[in-house]
Amino acid sequence: MKKWIPIASGLATGLLAATVFFADFSPGNQGEAIAESTKNKTNAEKVYVPFGEKDEYYLFASGGHSGQMFIYGVPSMRHIRTVPVFSPDSATGYGFDKHSKEMMGGFTWGDLHHPAFSETNGDYDGKYMFATDVGNSRAAVMNLETFTVRDIINVPNTSGPHCAAFVTENTEYMFLPTRFAVPIGSEYAPLDEYSEKYRGVMSAVTFDEKNEKLNIAYQVALPPWSYDLSDAGKKVSADWAVMTTYNTEEATTNLEINASQADRDFIVLFNWKELEQMVKDGEYDEVTGQKMIFPEKHKGGMYLVPVAKSPHGVDVTPDGKHFIASGKLAPAMTVFSFEKAFKAIENKEFAGERNGIPIIKYESIMEREVNPENALGPLHTQFDDKGMAYTTMFISSEVLKWDPKTGETLDRVPVQYSPGHSVAAEGDTVAPDGKYLVALNKIAKDSYLSVGPSHPESMQLIDLRGDKMEVIQSAPVNPEPHYAQMIKADKIKTISVYPKDEKNPYAVYNQEDTRIERKGNEVHIYGIAMRSKFIFDAKAKRPDEIEVKKGDKVFIHLTNIDFDQDITHGFAINGYDLNIEVQPGQTNTVEFTADKAGTFPIYCTNFCSALHQEMTGYFLVKP
Amino acid sequence: MKRLSVLSSGLVAAAAALIAASLFFPWWGMEFFAPQYPEGLNIIVYPDKLEGEIDIVNGLNHYIGMKGFSEENFPELSYLKYLIGGLAVLALFTAILRRRSVLYILIGIFSVGGALGVWDLRRWLHDFGTDLSPTAPIKVDPFVPPIIGENTLANFITNSYLGFGSYLIIAAFILLIIPIWKDR
Repeated sequence: MKKWIPIASGLATGLLAATVFFADFSPGNQGEAIAESTKNKTNAEKVYVPFGEKDEYYLFASGGHSGQMFIYGVPSMRHIRTVPVFSPDSATGYGFDKHSKEMMGGFTWGDLHHPAFSETNGDYDGKYMFATDVGNSRAAVMNLETFTVRDIINVPNTSGPHCAAFVTENTEYMFLPTRFAVPIGSEYAPLDEYSEKYRGVMSAVTFDEKNEKLNIAYQVALPPWSYDLSDAGKKVSADWAVMTTYNTEEATTNLEINASQADRDFIVLFNWKELEQMVKDGEYDEVTGQKMIFPEKHKGGMYLVPVAKSPHGVDVTPDGKHFIASGKLAPAMTVFSFEKAFKAIENKEFAGERNGIPIIKYESIMEREVNPENALGPLHTQFDDKGMAYTTMFISSEVLKWDPKTGETLDRVPVQYSPGHSVAAEGDTVAPDGKYLVALNKIAKDSYLSVGPSHPESMQLIDLRGDKMEVIQSAPVNPEPHYAQMIKADKIKTISVYPKDEKNPYAVYNQEDTRIERKGNEVHIYGIAMRSKFIFDAKAKRPDEIEVKKGDKVFIHLTNIDFDQDITHGFAINGYDLNIEVQPGQTNTVEFTADKAGTFPIYCTNFCSALHQEMTGYFLVKP
Repeated sequence: MKRLSVLSSGLVAAAAALIAASLFFPWWGMEFFAPQYPEGLNIIVYPDKLEGEIDIVNGLNHYIGMKGFSEENFPELSYLKYLIGGLAVLALFTAILRRRSVLYILIGIFSVGGALGVWDLRRWLHDFGTDLSPTAPIKVDPFVPPIIGENTLANFITNSYLGFGSYLIIAAFILLIIPIWKDR
């Protein structure tokens, strides 16, 4: 026998054995493998994000009457950042530096209710976040490269844009309907003249992305009702929007009773393209400097849909074909059809009108009523990737999963306690992700270590990946998330340092260029902050000293020249009640009058380096 | 005098190309790691410029009283590219002339230049590491980081390395040596 035969056959056998025993011939469906591994994970493992890894989603939870926005990571439910929006915040110098102080407009609090991401083709584009202030009727836009608010506008003629903001498919408009009806211009009018003089004005706000400015395009003087939740249409219904109303009784006192009398309230269904055209055609009146559409006079584009009494949520399905409304006092969700609505409008299937707005016949537009047993207080609906609906039940304290196409209840899970809204992963877009839903519970009660009679709110993370919904994490949260938005983390592209802006006349990037200029009783300081010193005037005997006379107007322009991620400096003057922040590469300005004579230390408030404690100076005010 | 073979001439021409190409790549670098900088900070030296997180490195180095790195601090950066370019031109001439004696001169210049370069780099490292400000908040013993390899200072571990440009130069040098051995 030739010598090579045993060698070759040995090798061949070895290779065969290796292939047969160790090779993977399975089709290798990775998705299934992941689903399987998820199933075998404990809840702790499902929410644990080890150091070095990041959360899969950002959660932007509205901060309610804190006036702030809370940023959380999902699934860890770790609080990452609080971004001040409508309230001053000394931690970030917000409301103290010139830009944010001007945006604040003299207000010292806000009530941030509903956040909304900018959208492109009905999907979150991760560029901007909009928010409204029920407390002082304002709207804000936050840039998501820096997570800072860029503009705030006051919305005249309205009082409490509660159900907003909601944006149209390509962020053409953000609509701000009002919670409280007031006379135009908020002028005085006795409540006896409520039905005649009061209005529930809705504003169409546009956003100029280039200049990062909000602007009111037009307003609509809707009847004096309370406008609650709202949503923009999608795809086939992209030109439309819906919003719920209550107090169509036009009660002026004890609303708890008097606004709960009528069996049906309304959903306002409007075509914003038509309204836009009406404004273009001059179909409006100019009042208080705004282009105001009065529905009784400027007809078209608006309809009323009867709905179970005192509704809260109204949500458009991801395919844009239906909208689901729920009456918080009537234990039913109603599925309405856009297609039927279009047909009913075409055939004028109306049952009268209110304030000049036609009422579409309920039977002509209703697709089905869904009334799961003992599910009470349906508030708000989100969707998953398969089009299934998840509705929070405030009174029966649960989240209910159901199929809008059949009305069948698929699953229910209790939450602790009393969920207002919920938010699913990209759950109000044309393409929800499924996976996760966070119930925004109004009452935490005994969920966490007690901190006295009042407790934080609670957010509970619900895993949607299995057949059954499962609460897998519970996180306390400051008052008070009303609604939230959950976006895939990789859609947001932050910057790590502010780029140099050589055109900014207040920026100084070289230590040698720092200077203090006096013009009459104005003192302009062009300074820098760096680890670990302030330099206000490089040529001075003490570069970190500022000396002014009592009564001088002081302008401090400070640039952080540490172009290094997270090396943020603060600037505070003891006893002068001011503190600003300069993020890496940022130039910021604070203006004030030196109205107190004396000696006031300056120091860096944001811990920056080993010698942070030494990062100080003096502000001297000559009497 | 023996002339270089066509192949040798080709090798010298290739060396000229490599020398010229090295102008566009970093020659040397130092990477700084600290617990707070797991991603590393860089000083990357090209024949005519510095790259990397120079400002951040300077900001941190001032705590130990080190002078700031900047392109103005290194006069070499203003003329090194002409010297290297000149060497590439000289190598090209050698390839065209195909004279052994010229090749010897070229190798001579190359060797002296290379040695001077290494000496110059070491001189700068010595200068920066030992000429520390006496008023620095953090006092450290004078030190000289290696041209290649690791060094530890306070919370930083530095790693010095040759850049791609240096490897091109080494390759060019080897290409110049081969004809001497081949055409012997």
